[in-house]
Amino acid sequence: MPAPAYQPGRTGRFRVTFAAVEPSLETPMPHDRDDAPPAPEVPDAAGGPSAASGDVPRRRFLLGATGLLGAGVAAAAGVPIVGAAVYPLDHEVTSGGGDFIPAGPSGAFGDDPVRVDLHADRRDAWNRFEDVRVGSAWVLRLEGRLVAFSTVCPHLGCAIDYDPKARRFVCPCHNSVFELDGTVVEGPSPRPMDRLDVRQEEKLVQIRYQRFKQGVKEKVPL
Amino acid sequence: MSRARKVLDWLDERAGIYALWDQAANEPVPGGARLRYVFGSVLVYLFMQQVVLGIVLASYYSPSATDAWASVAHLQDQVTAGWFLRGLHGHGASAMVVVLVLHLVQVVWAGAYRKPRELNWWTGLAMGGLVFAFALTGYLLPWDQKGYWATQVATGILGSVPGGEPLRILLQGGHEYGNLTITRFFALHVFVLPGLLLLLLVAHIGLFRRHGVTPPAHLSESELARADRFIPHQIFYDVLAMAVTAGILVAWTIRSHGAELFAPAQPASNFPARPEWYFLFLFQLLKYFEGPLVLVGTVVIPGAATAFLVALPFLDRAQSRRPKERMPVLAGMGALLAGVVALGVAAKVEDAGDEAFQKALAEARAEAERARALAAGGVLPEGGEAVFRNDPQYEARRIYAERCAGCHGRFMEGGDDAPALVDFGSRAWLARLVRNPRAPEFFGKTEHDTMDPYSPEDLPDDQLAAVVEYIVSTMGDEIAPPADPALAAKGKKLWEDELECNSCHEIEAGAEGDGPNLYGHGTVAWIAGLIANPKDPRYFGEEAQMPAFGEKLDEAEIQALARLVAAQRASGAKAGASAGQHD
Repeated sequence: MPAPAYQPGRTGRFRVTFAAVEPSLETPMPHDRDDAPPAPEVPDAAGGPSAASGDVPRRRFLLGATGLLGAGVAAAAGVPIVGAAVYPLDHEVTSGGGDFIPAGPSGAFGDDPVRVDLHADRRDAWNRFEDVRVGSAWVLRLEGRLVAFSTVCPHLGCAIDYDPKARRFVCPCHNSVFELDGTVVEGPSPRPMDRLDVRQEEKLVQIRYQRFKQGVKEKVPL
Repeated sequence: MSRARKVLDWLDERAGIYALWDQAANEPVPGGARLRYVFGSVLVYLFMQQVVLGIVLASYYSPSATDAWASVAHLQDQVTAGWFLRGLHGHGASAMVVVLVLHLVQVVWAGAYRKPRELNWWTGLAMGGLVFAFALTGYLLPWDQKGYWATQVATGILGSVPGGEPLRILLQGGHEYGNLTITRFFALHVFVLPGLLLLLLVAHIGLFRRHGVTPPAHLSESELARADRFIPHQIFYDVLAMAVTAGILVAWTIRSHGAELFAPAQPASNFPARPEWYFLFLFQLLKYFEGPLVLVGTVVIPGAATAFLVALPFLDRAQSRRPKERMPVLAGMGALLAGVVALGVAAKVEDAGDEAFQKALAEARAEAERARALAAGGVLPEGGEAVFRNDPQYEARRIYAERCAGCHGRFMEGGDDAPALVDFGSRAWLARLVRNPRAPEFFGKTEHDTMDPYSPEDLPDDQLAAVVEYIVSTMGDEIAPPADPALAAKGKKLWEDELECNSCHEIEAGAEGDGPNLYGHGTVAWIAGLIANPKDPRYFGEEAQMPAFGEKLDEAEIQALARLVAAQRASGAKAGASAGQHD
């Protein structure tokens, strides 16, 4: 491409060129004093104060055009990159276990909590898994009614154990202790153990496995 | 003083950034800024873009033989703009090769490889080699058919050169391709090669800054004395060239809908392996040498060309950089490039005229499309080929093997006491059956012997064809090609008025007769009904020998089996044309 817009060699002095980093030509740079060492020696036939001042609009045009083109080049890849990077924000990357899952015959559950593993098909980005353990629940009868708690501690997600001697649930990580009805007795857990939906079809107990936000007072499904 | 200035001043006091900036921005360009100097900058831009895109791809990629393909398919077809970014990365590699050659040509034309710039030349050549190493290692990473088979050729060449076998085993992490191959290629592609390239790039640019641009040889002293600064003159050209490159790259990526992704690598299959276009000249070279001469194509010629490039600064004995005085060198370079282009074109032309290759390629593309559609449902952790288990027909085949193969044969070829199912319900099949229902492929091995064969004397060929067409016309749109109405009408008339078929067979929907009702014979619904209960009066009634599967299989399984059987029709019925063919 020819460059009719300017003649090669018509460059300004160092001070002017520096406008690239600081558009305010009026404000001299601290080191840009008259006694500052001159720019690298560039033989500059046409250069000189007058030539330099005449160059300013063209220089600004070139810088502006360079900036615009450069921004376009960066955006060509940059915009879709942002799209790909934030993909997990508004897409369900993993899924599985949202439906009721068979947990066992109703006769298997009594006043003492029983831990059941819940199996379901699962998706994880590009994989699908058939019938894998998606989570576990503590199941017991409270005043005759079936209740299921997620084994995930509402505090920071450790797996809650049951202490049969004390008849209480205990989180082994940070010592949160829960009553059989899930209420917090002591420890850092911000809310009671998370109850899961339970239903009974014929004699089969089914549990809907869900995960909830950790570390907050409210029980918010993820 | 603005806040930004204060921060800059603070930094400058400590790091001397203004001086660094001066150095970078005000570098003189003797003889003035020129478009011909842009190629190096465009290469730097492309490399940086490859790095950034590579990081994004790596954040969606899983380097294992089981996961790689599925993760790339997920990126390609699910992730926002995934196909575009992957395409930009793949085509970006191609663009680097193009610009690399332009850069090389410009450097050779300008004589910029001559003293004192030999080190610039060699570091540049080394980086060029790295670009090809990037391409080679990156090609395998999707672990698709194309990458897998094309890379086999490359590592095969490595293994065939003297002393190359241990290197091949080291490179691919064993005697065969597997998990270690992919982890090694990944490590090379994303850690080793970028590190090496970056080191060389720093050296290359440092040397370039030391010696400056190489202006055209014909410039006079006074012309040379007129210099531009790098900023804003040369950088404007540089960024302009980057923008043009980016524009072409984006257009190309959108037009091609990104980089191709074939079906997952299947080590037991065969595939029309072709390397990326910029390797085609090497690929073509392999075709011309056989036996002990193979090394000429794999090592001697490429080695000589490389040696020529490396030795260029010594081969050039001219007094000045003027092209006229360097004709031998320029001619050698021209011959080299012409040879590369000619070989590449020859490879393309051969493939274009090769029907078998084109057919294999079309089949591979159809399989790729099918695999990627199936991958949308998630790929089982076995990975790769396991994607095809998402195909409902896969499940049907499994049930067939379990429940049906014992009698009907593993390949539906028929068994000791049950008919074959190959081509079931086609026009030819129906015609053959009427001619000889007691043939082994029909009821010969069963106890059904009520139907008599009809010889051409009893039933001339044209009447048989008409009757068959009448039966076929009841299949609706499940038969291909569609029924011929005129012929079917003729058949209907024969059926009703002349022939005795209707004494046993009904052909009204739902009607019961001594023989099977032929309405919709061969359709998925007809077959499904038969599988569910052959004893139904519409089929074989109480004489049926085949067990009823209605109680053993659920409706979906029976439907899947029926589709599988219907798909065996060689005429290509609509239901499941993708089914495998067996002999």
